[in-house]
Amino acid sequence: MSLGWYAARRLGLGVAQVLAVVTVIFALTWALPGDAAVVIAGDDPDPARIAGIRAALGLDQPVMDRYTSWLGGLATGDLGRSLVTGQPVTAVLGAASEPTLLLAGVTLLFLVPAAGALGITCATRAGGRFDRWTTTVTVALHAIPEYALAVLLIGFFALYLGLLPATALGELTPAALVLPVTVLVSRSLCSLARLIRASLIEALASDYVAHARRHGVPAARVLFRHALPNALAPAVQQLARTADWLLGGIIVVEAVFAVPGLSAAVVSSVASRDVPVLQGLAVLFAVLTVVLHLGADVLAYRLAPRAVS
Amino acid sequence: MSRPVLAAAGLLAGIPVVLATLGPPLSALPASGGPPFAPDGFLGTDVLGRDVLGVLLHGGASMLAITFTATALSYLAGGLIGLLAGAARSRWLDELLMRPLDIVLAIPGILILLLAASLAGHGPVIVTAVVVVVNAPAIARLVRAATLDAARRPAAEAMRLQGENWWAIHAGYVGRCLRRPLLADAGARLTSAVYLTGAANFLGAGLAPDSPDWAVAIDRNKAGLLLQPWAVLAPAALVVAFTIGVNLLADELTRGKP
Repeated sequence: MSLGWYAARRLGLGVAQVLAVVTVIFALTWALPGDAAVVIAGDDPDPARIAGIRAALGLDQPVMDRYTSWLGGLATGDLGRSLVTGQPVTAVLGAASEPTLLLAGVTLLFLVPAAGALGITCATRAGGRFDRWTTTVTVALHAIPEYALAVLLIGFFALYLGLLPATALGELTPAALVLPVTVLVSRSLCSLARLIRASLIEALASDYVAHARRHGVPAARVLFRHALPNALAPAVQQLARTADWLLGGIIVVEAVFAVPGLSAAVVSSVASRDVPVLQGLAVLFAVLTVVLHLGADVLAYRLAPRAVS
Repeated sequence: MSRPVLAAAGLLAGIPVVLATLGPPLSALPASGGPPFAPDGFLGTDVLGRDVLGVLLHGGASMLAITFTATALSYLAGGLIGLLAGAARSRWLDELLMRPLDIVLAIPGILILLLAASLAGHGPVIVTAVVVVVNAPAIARLVRAATLDAARRPAAEAMRLQGENWWAIHAGYVGRCLRRPLLADAGARLTSAVYLTGAANFLGAGLAPDSPDWAVAIDRNKAGLLLQPWAVLAPAALVVAFTIGVNLLADELTRGKP
């Protein structure tokens, strides 16, 4: 199977998956029991306001009409308007995703080299002291929930030592990024480093590596040119899983550090029951997830065509 | 397997569990209304003016109850779906059972939780349901893969040739083969449940804001981190001890076994 054909087939599957997720999100927000307009009105059950919300959401129309018009809007990039501010949902999402993408990008910038270095070092010294301690420490770090680690780090570095800002209120300066990035990296380091380690150990024990060694190929070339690309294929797919998990973890981290990103949008739209914004956020997360997996699968196929398929 | 790490992990996981189970029957939940963030008592007072130590003894029960209930239900639902899909003789039944789970896996758990909380209301039942929805697909995948693997082994083949019926093969042999991969994954599932439950409570989408729950306490008391750090540090330390302990235990107990 050629790379182009594989990518095209995966793209088709990805589009179908996005469509399915989008449908589930629509069903989830509208098929729940009770009158959505009454729920959204909450503490202010004024009949005129409820009628207004119902009209704004199109609740007075049949379900299929609402679904098709929502899908049509999605296709043209129109996700509706916020119930609270009246701003277009796309504008809300655009403004909010900037700090989140910055945070995710910086995290990956540190995470990938760190996990790679740890994974390779542990694989070449498998079973040794360094390997065992790295495993124990990364498993422990992975186990700590973000909110607990974040609060502990803020307490020590920001409040006790006064070295770093406690929150990123206002803007994300480099100093304000240190603690959130530390929290995010420490939680995702474990799975990625261990996967690279495990698949590299397997690759180093393979016949082709033994063959290359017998031919007198230098050790570094065997490791980096022959074993590593094959070992990286599953790791790249794991990285996609880490990255979309990272987007979820970022919600918590942003809330703790008061970063004005997607998390703030999620929390405030949940608090005010701003359904169009919530739907838009869910669609954005789903699309990002599917795109990441798609990219990772294609890259993994490029690295080791045999391993995928 | 190293004994010191195992002992330390057991101790770490054990302390919060003992506190959470023995706390509620042995002590009364302290009343609110005292001075907030005051240094009274052993660990001072919290944002509502309650004695931190007293609140702490009542804060673990909710976390453990939700976590263990949700994990058990996840295994029940995910295990059943995975076993049916893996043992299905028709391919379309397999697809019908597994494809919808891919969709759930494409949405971050926290987002499902917040969506559900905003639309269906807050509370422990919603949190439990969401944890099951988020965890069951991963379990179903694992069980399906292990079932397919076990059903192809010579022993299963031999049972089939001897004319054993389908249920005997799957409930007897395949079920036993599933024990190890499921145990290896149990730590991750439990942590994921603790994590989601805690995050829900921390973000205000779970229990009520005056609940003694540890995650709620971390969120509510972080405003007084400088004045009265114990109100935050004590519950955070217990949550961290529990999750690290459970993870290291699961990791140590399953390491090196196929």
